[in-house]
Amino acid sequence: MATFEATVTVIDPIGLHARPASQIVKLVKDAGVTVMLGREGENLVKANSPLMLMALKIKTGETLKVSVETEDDGQGTSIVAEIQEFLKG
Amino acid sequence: MGAVLTGLGVGLNAVAAPIFKVAPAAKLPEWSKSTAGTEAESEVLKKAIASVAADLARLSANADETSAEIFEALTFLLEDESLFEMAVGHMDEGWGAAAAYGTAVNEFAEMLAGDPAFEERIADLQDLSKRVQASIAGIHVGLDLPAEGAFVIVGDDFSPADTAQFTKAVVGVITIKGGPTSHTAIICRSRSIPAVVSVADANELENGSVVLVDPVGDRVVVGGDLSQATKPLEFANTGAEPLVPVRANIGSLEDAEAAAKTGAVGVGLFRTELLYLNESSQPSVERQGELYASILAAAPEGPITVRTIDAGSDKPVPFLNMPEEENPALGVRGYRLIQDHRSFIEDQLRGLEAARVATGREIWVMAPMISTAQEAAEFAGLARSLGSFKVGVMVETPSIAALLPDLEGIVDFVSVGTNDLSQYLYAADRMNPSLGALLNPWQPGLIRTLESIASQAKAAGIYSSVCGESASDPAFAVLLAGLGFNSVSSSRSQVDAVRSALAAVNESQAQSLAKAVLAAKSAEDTKSAAVAALSAL
Repeated sequence: MATFEATVTVIDPIGLHARPASQIVKLVKDAGVTVMLGREGENLVKANSPLMLMALKIKTGETLKVSVETEDDGQGTSIVAEIQEFLKG
Repeated sequence: MGAVLTGLGVGLNAVAAPIFKVAPAAKLPEWSKSTAGTEAESEVLKKAIASVAADLARLSANADETSAEIFEALTFLLEDESLFEMAVGHMDEGWGAAAAYGTAVNEFAEMLAGDPAFEERIADLQDLSKRVQASIAGIHVGLDLPAEGAFVIVGDDFSPADTAQFTKAVVGVITIKGGPTSHTAIICRSRSIPAVVSVADANELENGSVVLVDPVGDRVVVGGDLSQATKPLEFANTGAEPLVPVRANIGSLEDAEAAAKTGAVGVGLFRTELLYLNESSQPSVERQGELYASILAAAPEGPITVRTIDAGSDKPVPFLNMPEEENPALGVRGYRLIQDHRSFIEDQLRGLEAARVATGREIWVMAPMISTAQEAAEFAGLARSLGSFKVGVMVETPSIAALLPDLEGIVDFVSVGTNDLSQYLYAADRMNPSLGALLNPWQPGLIRTLESIASQAKAAGIYSSVCGESASDPAFAVLLAGLGFNSVSSSRSQVDAVRSALAAVNESQAQSLAKAVLAAKSAEDTKSAAVAALSAL
């Protein structure tokens, strides 16, 4: 399976907290695709668990790598764009 | 009249209704190993999670929008896939479903620990864990409040998950713990449910017996009826000027506009940190200047007292990167930020000076969390070098309250933040629900400290004011004027009530009220002395 990769920036003043984490998981589940997310150079976590995302303890201003398992770059782009939207706070 | 139990009142209306005691949660069984195997235990866990999710959905359907959002967020945590997988891992080690889930929750709680943004989520998660374990054990942990009728409910303290379950049958609330700013108090105030919190003896109340919840009297009367309710003090609006100026507390443009519609004379506390909480990088001096100018221009006529940034690790400003602290209330906060962020505080003062020039308003600046005369002198020097301000400091720490004579000639004014002063004077964490009674502003220890602050400030030729929550209570505001404070600052919704009270007294009446209050030896007696003096006018 091909993967679509991009980066997003956390703008939310509280960082990656419960609400954006839940929004991301809901999006990923609704889309039915596998999405991995995390800091560049670290192990990415599967974005199907809000608790795992929260446990990354990502703060305002950090850049994250997002990897979407999809053949369709259009779907990848739109998922990344929505994740970026959730991280605006 | 039956027994009278004292506490801290919330609201102005009284209610009389039968008691409904909320049972303390049943004890969960000890965790144990199971021989049923992972497959059977994971089915048990799945069913329990589904049953708790159904409970949450039911609560959500009956809740208002805010509470419904809370329940949806809780459901997401409850149904977390990684949490379930971790629990299954513990089942593989032979643990039963309850132990496996409880352990997995503890592991996540540990991973999330130490970050103030997650503290409440950890509490939510542990609450969910209890519900799931209770469901596995067949124990019920909901509040089970009656849906019909009218009851005064009694409990230890109520969490957000609890208050969201309040039905329309809840017409009054009594808690054993919790203070004037506890979650229960805030919810009851916003929904106009009469409440008395911090009633230490409320365990003695019996199910079904009628009580009068009398918040204005700070008491619960067993067998009482509405005719015994304490009347709130009312002062006719005579149009006379108050004994001392009443200013308004603001934190935003919206506040400034609303305050300008009240009788407030200027602003006694402009909390600036709210302007920075949503900024991901430090705004430029120009941008800060524009922001301040718009707010200054909208604020009520009179001097505007601006407090420099009052942030700490519990109230973090994103771009200041504040490290986590064991004890944020006693940590690097307020003016102490100058150690690492001098340029930010300087830019804030430069922005204020630009706004002052642009609007022509009279600006007083003050620094929070000052504890030595050297800090006060350093801030005064910095502020005077950057703008044409009157310069002052907040009195929140007991040390600076003892050092006021040393501030003579250094600052123009002081302003007392009674919420923090209480917290530090009584060594009582504002966040701790068991310590609410110590944070009652009517505590004699606080009032006598205020008396000393007012008289020392006067002797040193320093203008003194009070901007804490206590100055929003009309009776307390009269006390403050009687103690010798030169002005008070109230929340914008209370400005006119405080003005009316201060217009109804003259200086000697306020002073004799203060004298009677200073002679009282308990928080109940100080307040009743003030109420008696005002009722006799």
